[in-house]
Amino acid sequence: MLKRFIYILAAASFIFGGIAAKAQDAGALLDLLVRKKIINDQEAEEVRAELTKEAAATSAGKWKLSTPITELELYGDARLRYEYRSGQTEGGVSPPNDWQERKRERYRLRIGLRGVLADDWFFGVRLETSQNPRSTNVTFGDDTSTTSGSTTTINGPFAKNSDGINVGQAYLGYRGFKDITLTGGKMPNPLVTTLMTWDADINPEGVAEQWKHTFTFNFGGGGVEQAQQSYAKDSKNLAITKTSEPWKLKVDLFANFAQFIYDDVNPENPVGAPRTSGGKLVPTTDAWLLAWQVGARFTFPNNLYAQLAPTLYNYTGNGDTFNGHFVGGDPALSNSDSLSTNQWGINSLLVFDMPMEIGWKIGELPVRIFGDFAVNFEADDRAKAAGFPGKGDQRYAYQIGAGIGQLKAKNDWQLQAFWQHTEQFSLDPNLVDSDFFDSRVNIEGVVVQAGYALSDAVIFNLSYGYGWAADKSLGTGGTGDIGINPLNKYQIFQADLNVKF
Amino acid sequence: MKRIYLSLITILSLMGSAYADRLVIKGSDTLGAKLVPQLAEQFKAQHPGTTFDIAAEGSTTGIAAIIDGTAQIGMSSRRAKSSEVGQAAAKGINMKPTVVAYDGIAVIVNAGNPVKSLTKKQVEQIFTGEATDWSAVGGSGGKISVYTRNTSSGTYSDFKELAMKKRDYAPGSQKMAGNEQIASEVGKNPAGIGYVGMAYTKAGGVKVVSIDGATPSIQSVQNHSYPYWRPTFYYTNGEPGGVAKTFVDFTLSSVGQKIVNQVGFVPIK
Repeated sequence: MLKRFIYILAAASFIFGGIAAKAQDAGALLDLLVRKKIINDQEAEEVRAELTKEAAATSAGKWKLSTPITELELYGDARLRYEYRSGQTEGGVSPPNDWQERKRERYRLRIGLRGVLADDWFFGVRLETSQNPRSTNVTFGDDTSTTSGSTTTINGPFAKNSDGINVGQAYLGYRGFKDITLTGGKMPNPLVTTLMTWDADINPEGVAEQWKHTFTFNFGGGGVEQAQQSYAKDSKNLAITKTSEPWKLKVDLFANFAQFIYDDVNPENPVGAPRTSGGKLVPTTDAWLLAWQVGARFTFPNNLYAQLAPTLYNYTGNGDTFNGHFVGGDPALSNSDSLSTNQWGINSLLVFDMPMEIGWKIGELPVRIFGDFAVNFEADDRAKAAGFPGKGDQRYAYQIGAGIGQLKAKNDWQLQAFWQHTEQFSLDPNLVDSDFFDSRVNIEGVVVQAGYALSDAVIFNLSYGYGWAADKSLGTGGTGDIGINPLNKYQIFQADLNVKF
Repeated sequence: MKRIYLSLITILSLMGSAYADRLVIKGSDTLGAKLVPQLAEQFKAQHPGTTFDIAAEGSTTGIAAIIDGTAQIGMSSRRAKSSEVGQAAAKGINMKPTVVAYDGIAVIVNAGNPVKSLTKKQVEQIFTGEATDWSAVGGSGGKISVYTRNTSSGTYSDFKELAMKKRDYAPGSQKMAGNEQIASEVGKNPAGIGYVGMAYTKAGGVKVVSIDGATPSIQSVQNHSYPYWRPTFYYTNGEPGGVAKTFVDFTLSSVGQKIVNQVGFVPIK
């Protein structure tokens, strides 16, 4: 009878402790009962064996993890999307006022494992659909045929040619030094960013060093003050005191430094004569994107916070893909000629960027105002190299927006809208968001988004964006999904059903 | 037809002898090298005609033998792992543990080593390879030679759990087949350190170091104050029957527990 009671007790601690708790974890309780001489070792072992047997029959009990892993998380998401995207050529461009429209039904899948290892190491791996660094979407039915040269292969309906799985993240890190995180590999972006400067799907490759420290300041209060005199039922005086709450300010200071390998050249030293192109030597140094970010988040009483994260980006080396001079299109050319100009060069980019956000709560409803400002200090050179020497003033980019609500639990909702303006020589067009506004710079417009949580894990989102060329005497630089440059009257509508796990 | 009859008679006679007197015991070297053979000798004296087939090749082999039905008793100096229990359950085997003795895993060094005591942290550092020189743990210097049991040993995994927070052994550690080999190597190597069951601490040329001030003894193991104490087991498929039950009962009897004590283990009562 006693053994049965102990078994129930241990099993209960087991169940309420979560499935991750192994039978052996009930050992502390059993050991205590043995020490108290409530049960003997033989009885404890019989209970332990029974619990082990039951645990081994559960799904969790069948998983085996290597000893150095102290924590492992399986996570991911799946998304179904309908998207409409369109744009129009400018009136003076050949062909004039012509529309291109794309309607796509798409899905994406991301499955990740992240774990903590012994001795302060950690790692992460994430598999993703699509090879595109700025998108994990796969379009249904877009792979029914494959063309290679002049040969077209019919793959059939429901083909799997586009449905590949790729390594989206693979990184290793160390947190053994106080307040410092070191990460290397293909990693989640370690920088504080907005969609204006970085597409959220990009997982940069290289190394990153992060430091974060929290300071808490107490102002006033904390003392004991005398309250009004009060009386007990027996009419005796009661000395009532109360402690006044101090006014607290929490400051999270952080610094993020990153050295990303942007474009690797191999071989750096080829056999034979150095490569040339157009009579010029082809550069043979890797291109690196370097980022220095320092920032602070101030959290005031009553859920009010403010955060800003000034950042400086610069590029070193040339690479062998992005070493041409950026042009970004030209409205004086036909559309096809404009598109074929260099849309991806990373020359003359020394960008200062400052994402910022202020938030508070109205009742239980979170509200935030966010924005971003960026300037390229070398825009004059970039404009000159593009063939527009008088357009060095096209160096700024900014975003301002507001949001209300959140999407954390069932029945949560969220509304968000922002205005964005990016000038032709302000930002790296290879990194900006691919949806709003089609991976382009020299475009401005508005985005509105609404979301509703159908359950804790299922979220329905609607997004709409509308944009147009900011400076109509320039192209809209960057390679997007709409084959028009300069891009005018750009529209995007997305309806998403997201499942997170 | 005649051949079939002969075969049947042979099989039946073999089965009969197996059920009547033959006891197959496999598993732990810690139990199977000394204790169980001596128990078997005494048991045979009381039960003439009983024969034993004892194979001491590590606890893992003992538990596997119960799962695949090749032994009636599996000796183990560690608890069955959940993966083993799961495998057994899938075959309809009910792994029943019986605690037959306690043991203390003693940390031994060469008798000439000036180190007399270590902390649990130091033991962890030595066996994981974090500390590689005796000077790091209060010794007189020199590269530490770590001796461990091999991976099929219950003592190997028990020590990992009890002393090393389940971390991996030092890459350069030397894996030995049994307690006696570890004691022998440490006895010959002035820079050696290893661990053995309490029954093997009397080997020549070695000495036991205290751990956080505690040394393995009958009292410190029975009251569980020695940090590296452990129960040792017979595993059977459910409640044992026949000669296996008689032998388990004999092991737990006062006569059996006296032998446990004589061999160097700690009696359960």
